Amino acid sequence: MIEREVRHGLGVVNVNLLAVQDLRKNFGQFEAVKGLSFTVEKGESFGLLGPNGAGKSTAINMITGLFPPTSGEIRLRDIDIVRRPKQAQKTIGVVPQEIALYQEMSAKENLKFWGRMYNLSGKKLEISVDGVLEMIGLTDRARDKVADFSGGMKRRVNIGAAILHQPELLIMDEPTVGIDPQSRNHILETVKRLNHEGMTIIYTSHYMEEVEYLCERVGIIDHGQVIAIGTLRDLRESIGDRSRIMIMLDGETFNQQEIINHLEGSGLSVDKDILFKENLLTAFHKEPQNILGGLIQYLTRDGIKISSVEIVEPNLESIFLQLTGRSLRD
Amino acid sequence: MRKIMTIVGQQLKMFFKSPGTIVLMFVMPALFSFIFGGVAANPDSAKPVVNVVAGEGKATDEIMKLLKKNDDFSWRQVSLKAAKSNVSEQDSIAAVVIPNDIEQRMAENGPIFDVMIERKTESYYSLEPLLQGTASLIARSYQAVDPSDSSGFPQLLEMIAGNQGVSVDQQVIQKERTKQTDMNLMFVGFSIMFMMFGLSGAASAILDERAGGTWGRLLVSPAAKLQIIFGYLLSYFVMGAIQFVMLMTAMSLLFDVTWGNLSYLLPFASLVILSVVGFGLMIAALVKTKQQAAALSAVLVVSTCMLGGVYWSLDLVPDVMQKIALAVPQSWAMSGFKEIISGSLHMGTLGKDVLALVLFTILFFAVGIRGIRFE
Repeated sequence: MIEREVRHGLGVVNVNLLAVQDLRKNFGQFEAVKGLSFTVEKGESFGLLGPNGAGKSTAINMITGLFPPTSGEIRLRDIDIVRRPKQAQKTIGVVPQEIALYQEMSAKENLKFWGRMYNLSGKKLEISVDGVLEMIGLTDRARDKVADFSGGMKRRVNIGAAILHQPELLIMDEPTVGIDPQSRNHILETVKRLNHEGMTIIYTSHYMEEVEYLCERVGIIDHGQVIAIGTLRDLRESIGDRSRIMIMLDGETFNQQEIINHLEGSGLSVDKDILFKENLLTAFHKEPQNILGGLIQYLTRDGIKISSVEIVEPNLESIFLQLTGRSLRD
Repeated sequence: MRKIMTIVGQQLKMFFKSPGTIVLMFVMPALFSFIFGGVAANPDSAKPVVNVVAGEGKATDEIMKLLKKNDDFSWRQVSLKAAKSNVSEQDSIAAVVIPNDIEQRMAENGPIFDVMIERKTESYYSLEPLLQGTASLIARSYQAVDPSDSSGFPQLLEMIAGNQGVSVDQQVIQKERTKQTDMNLMFVGFSIMFMMFGLSGAASAILDERAGGTWGRLLVSPAAKLQIIFGYLLSYFVMGAIQFVMLMTAMSLLFDVTWGNLSYLLPFASLVILSVVGFGLMIAALVKTKQQAAALSAVLVVSTCMLGGVYWSLDLVPDVMQKIALAVPQSWAMSGFKEIISGSLHMGTLGKDVLALVLFTILFFAVGIRGIRFE
């Protein structure tokens, strides 16, 4: 039995809305999810971050009840999602990665259909559909075929179909893939608004800036496991709040091993603070300006050419890179 | 139930918005039936024309009657000049000249008919043995009568021409198939074939929905799997029923087609539609993409329709093919429709047809539902 989590120090006691415990999923011999555990509090906005193939979508599909786990427990309040998925699904809204809409039907027809599938009918359905159309900014295009919409508009209807029944928990699986910045901003604002109105959100994405903007807590998944979880502040502290110095080297004039040998004496730990990938040398440090000069001097001493230098403040990308040695889009 | 009806309504809406499905389900069978129905409904116009040039006389008249007993050809009596012109213009396949001096020719063992042709066509090859047979019959008749009795030969020919052939004392179990029944079965056959194409296409839309995400979205909604699959199947059944009723009505209005006893026809047609829905579901379950489904259903539908007597009567095919036909549902469907449309309603045959179709339907649904992935 998963215990209720209590957040101390704020003077409030928050009850878990969702609790995932030791979740595993095998596809034949392949173990896609390996003992995933986390909780999401009511009203919270929780981000799941990880590269392609990390197990995010598999985890999401099990939480939404699309397929059962090989083992483990998922609870929405007191409902065991594994055993009683249909009961839980009444209070869950799902925004899938795909544009899961009927393209030949209008936005309004789509919303009405999905509303009915979530037990809405009559006046309640009408009010809900009109409200959602207004929220996603498509009231004037309600009767147009979804097939004629732009990618961003389709994504907005995709979200609209998931919130018609005002779910307690909204699960969004990469809802902004492949859209223009304007539509992305609209979607992020909508999600933020829903969260402020009390809806609990689980948001998965490649885009760290989205997760940073929307989520209070973040779980980082890699190879089917949570490798870090906490608030952004917690996570930053876990890597020592270090910035990234990204130095792009000229491809034909250096030898990686030589450079590492050079940097041995620079004050940086080659194992912990330095990452080398192709031409990009990344160094992590709490005060990058203090070591940048020395670093460049070390590198250029033997004629190594530098194409560009960039310092990036600590963010989720830095955290992920330090935890996994890979960038999120690898 | 409300969720099931919501899915049915949505699927029908999608169906009527898809021009491809409408063409396959309504336009094609209507077009095929109209063209073939037009041909079958007016068979005389399709018969090869044979001109006959005949002089006057009792014997000549009786020979003309003898030829006209064969209704595979359209016999038209014309003048010699018109016959020559028609043959040369190929308006008739041949002209048969019955000479005025026929009795003299027979006495001299000369040819009984003079035949004019422009070239030897397939129809002429059918006509030739008939003319040979008739000529031989006339010659033997001539030899059988007393040469001194001038009225004996025409009288004998009259007797032969008036003969009814073989008399069969028949106990009617199944009504004889008439041309009208054959024509009605042809409409039913086309409906079944295009229904199989249409519904297997519609059922394979599940594959597109799975790829597009709407199938997954339905599965994570509060609707039960049973409600979802039942909604889809019911919508396909309704599509099939709409197609069948529309074609029945159209054919009745256009060609005065009768469909037999409706209290038998409607339940039997429903069973056939259900088995076609099962067939479509099975196709959708056996493949991974809609393109694969289209290819597989094209192969299966055309070949099984050929085997099952949808395009032609199974009476025309060898025994071994009739045995093979038992392995496809169309043969049972056509047999049942034949019983109902002809009005025979032979319960033994109809019962076997129903049982076979029920077994096929169960098999199709078992394979289909087992193969549909709910994840």
